[in-house]
Amino acid sequence: MNALLARFGFGRQSKSQNDESYYTAGQLALIKARFKRKTSGVVAAWILGTLVMMGFFAPFFSPVDPTINGADPDYRRGAPQAFYFWDENGFSLRPFTYTYTKEKARIDLKALAGGGLNALDALTSSGALKASNQNKYVIDKEQRRYIQLFVKGWEYSLIDLSVGGLDLDIRWDRHLLGVEQGQLHIMGTDEDGKDVFSRTLHAIWITISIAIVALIVKLFSSLLVGGVSGYFGGRIDAVLMSITDAVRVVPAIPIYLACAVALSEMDLTPVQRYFAIAVIIGALDFPTLGRRLRTHILTERNQDYVLAAQLCGSSSWRIIWRHLVPSFGSYIIVDTLINFPYVILAETSLSFLGLGLTDPINSLGVLLQKAQDPDIQQNMLWQFFPVAVFVFLIMAFVFVGDALRDAADPYSEKK
Amino acid sequence: MVIEFFANTWLLWILVSVGTGLFWLGRDSQYFNYVFNRYSLALLTLLLVSGVVFVLMEVLPGDCAEKYIAYKNTQGETITQADIDAERARMGLDQPMVVRWASWVTDLTLRGDMGFSCSKRQSVNLALGDRFWMSFLFCMAALIFAYLIAVPFGILSAFTINKTWTDKNPQHTPTERLINSIGMSTQKVLDLVLRLVSYLGLALPNFLLALTIILLYVFAGEPMPTGLYSDEYRNVPWFGDNGFSWGKLDDFIGHIWLPIFVIGWSATALQLQTVRALVVDESNKLYVDAARARGVDGIALWAGYPVRHSISPLVNSIGFDYNRVFNDLPIVAVVIGLTDAAALLIEALSMTNDQELAAAILFLVALVIISMNFFTDVILAAIDPRVRKSVLGN
Amino acid sequence: MMINQGVSSRLLDIRDLTIDFNTDEGLVRAVDNVNLSVRPGEVMGLVGESGSGKSVTAKSIMRLTPGNAVIQHPSQITLHHRDQDINILKLRGRDLRTVRGDQVSMIFQEPMASFAPAIRISDQMIQTMQIHLGYDRDQARRAGIELFERVGIVNPEQRFDQYVFELSGGMRQRAMIAMALSTKPKLLIADEPTTALDVTIQAQVLDLMLELREQMGMAMIFITHDLGVVSKIADNVTVMKKGQVVEAGSAEQVLFQPEHSYTKRLLDALPHLEDLPEAPKKTPPPLLSVKDLSITYPLAGNGRKTEYFNAVKNISLDLPEGQIIGLVGESGSGKTTLGKAMLGAAPISTGHVQYHNTKKKVKFGADKAIKRKRLAKTAQMVFQDPYSSLNPRMTVRDIIAEPLEAMNITKNREETDARVIEVAKRCHIDVEHLRRFPHAFSGGQRQRISIARALVCNPKFIVADESVAALDVSIQAEILKLLKELREELGLTILFISHDLSVIANLCDWVCVMKHGELVEQGTVRQIFLEPQEAYTQKLIASIPLLDSPEGRPSNTPELVHIAERPVCSEARVGV
Repeated sequence: MNALLARFGFGRQSKSQNDESYYTAGQLALIKARFKRKTSGVVAAWILGTLVMMGFFAPFFSPVDPTINGADPDYRRGAPQAFYFWDENGFSLRPFTYTYTKEKARIDLKALAGGGLNALDALTSSGALKASNQNKYVIDKEQRRYIQLFVKGWEYSLIDLSVGGLDLDIRWDRHLLGVEQGQLHIMGTDEDGKDVFSRTLHAIWITISIAIVALIVKLFSSLLVGGVSGYFGGRIDAVLMSITDAVRVVPAIPIYLACAVALSEMDLTPVQRYFAIAVIIGALDFPTLGRRLRTHILTERNQDYVLAAQLCGSSSWRIIWRHLVPSFGSYIIVDTLINFPYVILAETSLSFLGLGLTDPINSLGVLLQKAQDPDIQQNMLWQFFPVAVFVFLIMAFVFVGDALRDAADPYSEKK
Repeated sequence: MVIEFFANTWLLWILVSVGTGLFWLGRDSQYFNYVFNRYSLALLTLLLVSGVVFVLMEVLPGDCAEKYIAYKNTQGETITQADIDAERARMGLDQPMVVRWASWVTDLTLRGDMGFSCSKRQSVNLALGDRFWMSFLFCMAALIFAYLIAVPFGILSAFTINKTWTDKNPQHTPTERLINSIGMSTQKVLDLVLRLVSYLGLALPNFLLALTIILLYVFAGEPMPTGLYSDEYRNVPWFGDNGFSWGKLDDFIGHIWLPIFVIGWSATALQLQTVRALVVDESNKLYVDAARARGVDGIALWAGYPVRHSISPLVNSIGFDYNRVFNDLPIVAVVIGLTDAAALLIEALSMTNDQELAAAILFLVALVIISMNFFTDVILAAIDPRVRKSVLGN
Repeated sequence: MMINQGVSSRLLDIRDLTIDFNTDEGLVRAVDNVNLSVRPGEVMGLVGESGSGKSVTAKSIMRLTPGNAVIQHPSQITLHHRDQDINILKLRGRDLRTVRGDQVSMIFQEPMASFAPAIRISDQMIQTMQIHLGYDRDQARRAGIELFERVGIVNPEQRFDQYVFELSGGMRQRAMIAMALSTKPKLLIADEPTTALDVTIQAQVLDLMLELREQMGMAMIFITHDLGVVSKIADNVTVMKKGQVVEAGSAEQVLFQPEHSYTKRLLDALPHLEDLPEAPKKTPPPLLSVKDLSITYPLAGNGRKTEYFNAVKNISLDLPEGQIIGLVGESGSGKTTLGKAMLGAAPISTGHVQYHNTKKKVKFGADKAIKRKRLAKTAQMVFQDPYSSLNPRMTVRDIIAEPLEAMNITKNREETDARVIEVAKRCHIDVEHLRRFPHAFSGGQRQRISIARALVCNPKFIVADESVAALDVSIQAEILKLLKELREELGLTILFISHDLSVIANLCDWVCVMKHGELVEQGTVRQIFLEPQEAYTQKLIASIPLLDSPEGRPSNTPELVHIAERPVCSEARVGV
C-alpha cells in the first residue's frame, strides 16, 4: 500500500523537510504519521468521524424529536419523504418536499354500525384493513414544503456537563434541517409515527457510549488480570490463566444472555439497565485482551532496556511507570479502537434478542430488532435504514482499526 | 450388583484408565508424557469450566422448585412458602452451591449424568439428546464450509501481497510489462474484493445476514426456508412404509443450507484474514527464497513451502473457531426458527429459567472445544516437527 | 566440454549492473554500475558491509531480487554455458532453472532458516535433484547420502532423514553445502556462509569449502565482510561500498597493496598479532574479585524431574583495574551469564562478587543481597542489541539521564542536563540530537547512547556484552576506539565479552577464555594469542581467519596479477 502511494506521489513530502520532526516524534506521532499514509483508513476515519459527530450532536442534526413526544400521529407508518429540486411545476434552488396526507380508508361506518355482516365481509375482502394498505398517503404536488436550515424546533441540551455540582448544560432549540409546516421525515416513520432518521441518529451515540463504557470496564478488568498475571508470574499467573482459559472456552453470547436475564428480573430504570449491560459486556470480555496484555508485559519485561533500567538503579515502581506503562499505552489505545466493533456487536446481539436495551431507548440493537418483524419486512422497508447505518458504522470501524493495526505494527519501527 | 456398580460408574473408569494408560506410556516416551500432561490439563480446565458455568447459573433468577410449584399453581392448587421450601429440600436446592456443584460434577464424572431438567421434566441427557448432536453437526458443517472457502481464497489473496500495480522494470519487454501490469492490477482488485468481503463478515453479523436472506425470499414471494423441514414433511418419518423418504431428504437439504451458510459466514470472513496472514508470513521467510534458488517453482513452491507450513497453526485454531460459530448459533436459531440445542439454550436461559439444562449445554459446548483443542494439540505434536520440538524440547 | 575451459573464457559476466529499489522515499539505488566477472573455477571474494549491495548483486545472478527491485538499463548479466552466452536477465519461466540450481546454486547465511522447518532435509534435497538431474527417488537418495558423507557429516544415512533443527550449527551449514552441490553447479554463491558460526566451526567449514572446490572445480562467489576469511579462500577480491565497486583485483593486490581508504579501514579491523600491546610491567591491583562463583538455571523441562543447567561452574577471577579485559568463548560458554552476574543481574547459586576500593563496600553473592544503588554507581553495562536496549518511548536525553534521575544523584534538572551534555560530548553524540527518539539513530549511534547511559553516573567498571557484534566493521572500529579513549581518560575497567577474537585482539589488555561454563585460561593478550597454553585456546587461536602473510601465499610477483588465469585445480593451493 505504501509503495503504491509512493508511486502516485500521494501525500509525499520530501524527506529532508520533515526530518527533524520525524526524529523527535514520539510513538503516537509515528503511528499517526504511518496511519495517514493509508488512504482506505483515512477515508474510513472521516466517515467514522462524521457518523460519530452526527450521533453526538444527534438532536441538532435530527429534524424531529425521536421520542414519543415527537411522534407524528398523522403520519404513522409513513414512507420517506424525498426532496426534490424540480418537478413539472418548475425548478427551485431550495430543495422541497411535498405535503402528504393520509388517505382516508373508505369504510362504510354506517353499514358497519348497522351490524350488517355483509358489510363486514366487504370490508375485509376489500383489503382496506391489510397492513400494506395502511401506509397509503396522498401526495399533494401543488403544496411544496421548502427545506429550511437552522429551524427552530424542540429544545434540547447540546452539551450536558451537569455532573455533581457543576451546572453546565448548554441548551438550544435549532435544528439543521426542517420544514415550515408539519414535520420532515427523511427516512419515514415507524408504526407509532416516530421519525426513523432521528431515531437512528440518536441510536448511534447511545450504542457508541455503551461501547465506550464497556471498553473502559474491559480495559480495567483486562489490566487487572493481565497485569497481575504478567507482573507476578509463577503460581498466580498459572491460576489466573487457567481461569481465563476456562472463561474463554464458554461462548460469550450465552454468558451475556444469562447476565442480561438476571438483570431483567431486577427492578432497574432504563439508564441503570443501560449501564449494567455495558459493564457486563466489558467485565466478561477480559480473556483475550487480558491474555495479550500478560504476554506483552512478559515480553517487555524481558527486553534489554528494562534490565538496563534495573542496572541503573531504578526502583520497580519507577520501572513500571517510566518504562512498562508507556510501552503498552499506545498498544492499549490501538487495541481498544480495534475492539469497538466487537463490543457494538455484543450490544446489538443482546438488544436484538430483546434482552439488552428495550424500545423506548434508541439503540442500534433495538432498531435492528424491529427488522425481524415480518410486517416491517413486507411493508416498511425504510425501517431497514438503521441496518444500513449499522453496517456502515462497523465497516468504518473495521477499516480504521485495520489501518491502525498496521500503523502501530512494532516491526515497522525498526527500519 | 457388580454390573450395577460398573453401570453407575462407567465414565469414571474410562477416564481413569485412559489417564493411567497415558501415564504408563509416558514413563519412557516424551510424547506420551506430553499427551498425559495435556490430558490432565484438559480435565482440569473442564472442572474449572463447570465451576464458571455453575457460578453463572447461580446468577439466574428463580429455581426449579419455584417453577415446579408455579406450574402446580396453574393446576389449581394453592401453594404456600412452606411447600416451596419443602420442594427445594426435596430437590436438594437448599444446599450451598459448592455442595450442589460437587454432586453435579460427581454424577457427571461417574456416569455422564448431567442432572434433571425441570422444564422438560426429564433428565438433561434425554432432553438434549439429538438436539445437541444437531447443533454439533451444524457447527461442524459451518466450519467445513468456512474452511472450504477461506483456505483457497485466503491463499489466493496472499499471492497478491507485495505486488505493485505497474511493472516498470526496463529489463522486461513491453508486452511482458503490459501483461504483468494487467495481472498485477487484477490481483490487487481481487485482493481488495476479498478484504471487503472479509470485513463485511464482521459488519454484517449473522443475524442480519439471515434477515437479509429472508427478505430476499419475501421479495421473490417464495416460502421462507426457515426451520428444518417444510410443514408437509415435518411429521413424515425418515423410514416410512414406502422405504426411505427421499422427498424429506430433499426438503431437509433445501432448508439446512441456510443455517450452515449463515453461521459459517463470519467464520469464513475471519478465517480468510487468518489464512492470508499466515501464508504471507510464511512466504516471506528465507526458506522460500532458498527453495526458489534451487529451482523449485510454480505450484510445487507454493503448495510445498508456505502453504504447507501454515497448515498447523490453522488447524490449531479449530477449537476457537467452533466457539465462535456456536456463539452465533443461538441468535441465528431464533431468527430462522431452529429447534437445536442453541434454541433450547435460549429457551432455558430467557424463558424457562432451567439452570440445569442451560448449564449442561454450555458445559457440553466447552467440552467439545476443549477436546478439539486437546486432539489438535496432540495430533500436531505427532505430525508437525516444529510443534514437536516446541512442546517436547529436543 | 567443461573439463578444459579456455584460458580467457568467462563463466559469468556482470556488466553495468544497476539496481534500484522502489520504496516509500522513491527509488533508492542499491547497486550502482557494478562490473564483475568470474572465470570457471575462480573464487571471487565479494567484500562489503551491510547495505553495500553485495547480496543484491549476488541475488540478481539467480534472479532472486525482491519484488520492488528494478534492474535498470543497460545492466547485463551473462552466463557462459555450453559454449553459449545466456543473458540471465532475459530468462523466463522454466528457463530460469538454469541459474536457479542448475548452473548456479547458493548457500545462505542462516542454514537454519534456509531449510524448510517441517520438511525433512532428505525430501528437500531429493526434490532438487529430481528437478535438475532427473534422478529417480532411490538414485537421488543414494547421491544425497554420498554427498552428506563427503561434506563430513557423521552418520550420513541417519542425518539425511532428519529435520534441520535436529542438527547442530556446523552440521546445518554442511548440509546446506551438500544441498547446494547436489546439482553439480558451475558457480556457487556463498552469502556469508560462516558469519553465524562459532570460530572453530567457521574454520572447519572454510576448510571444507576449499577442499570441495579443489575436488569439484566449480567457481565461487564468496560474500563476506571479513577480509581474513577472504584471504583464506579467494583468488580475486571485489570490495563494494554503498552499491559501488571501490576496489577490485587479485587477492594479493587488494589485501596487501590496498589503494582505497575503505579497504584499508577494513584491513585495520583484522587482528594484528605482530603488534599486540606489551603487557604492563606489573599487574595492577584487582578492581573486582569473583570467588567460587556458580550459576545454575533450572531447565524448563517437560520431564517429570527438573534438570539443571550449570551456566557457570565454580569460577574464581580477579579483574585488574584500569584495563580492558576480554572474555572469550563460543556460544553457550556462559560468558554473558558471568558478565551479568558481576552486575547482579543473574542469580548466583554459590560464591560471591566483591568490588575493591569503593566508597562503600560492594559485595554480594549467594547469601548476601545486592545493594542495588551502590552497585549501580560502581558498575554499568553496555548491551549487545542496540535496538532493544534503548526504550523506544524515551528521548535520548531521558535515556542518558535515567541513572541520574533514578538514583537522585543530581540535585536539579539543570545539573542533570549539564551532566548529560558532558557525557554526550564525551561519547561523540551531537548535543542537538538529545531530544530525538532512538528510532532516528543507526546501530552505531545507538551503541554510543548506550555507552553514554552507562557512563553518566561515573562508574568504575563497565561490562560490554558483545557490544559491537551487531555492527559493521568500520563502525565497530569507531566504538572500539571510543572504548579505548574512555579507558585512557577515565581509567575505566572494562569487561569486554565477545566471541570475536579479532576484536579482542585489537582491544583488550587481558584475556580470559571460557568453555562450557569453566575458565580455561587467562593471561595478557600476548600470552593468549601468541603462546596459548591450553589445547582449547590453541584451537581457538588457530581458527582465527588471519590475513595470510604474503610469504604464505605464492610470492608477490607480477605473475600474480593474472592469477585468475591459472589452471583451475592447482595442487599448490591445497591446505592454504
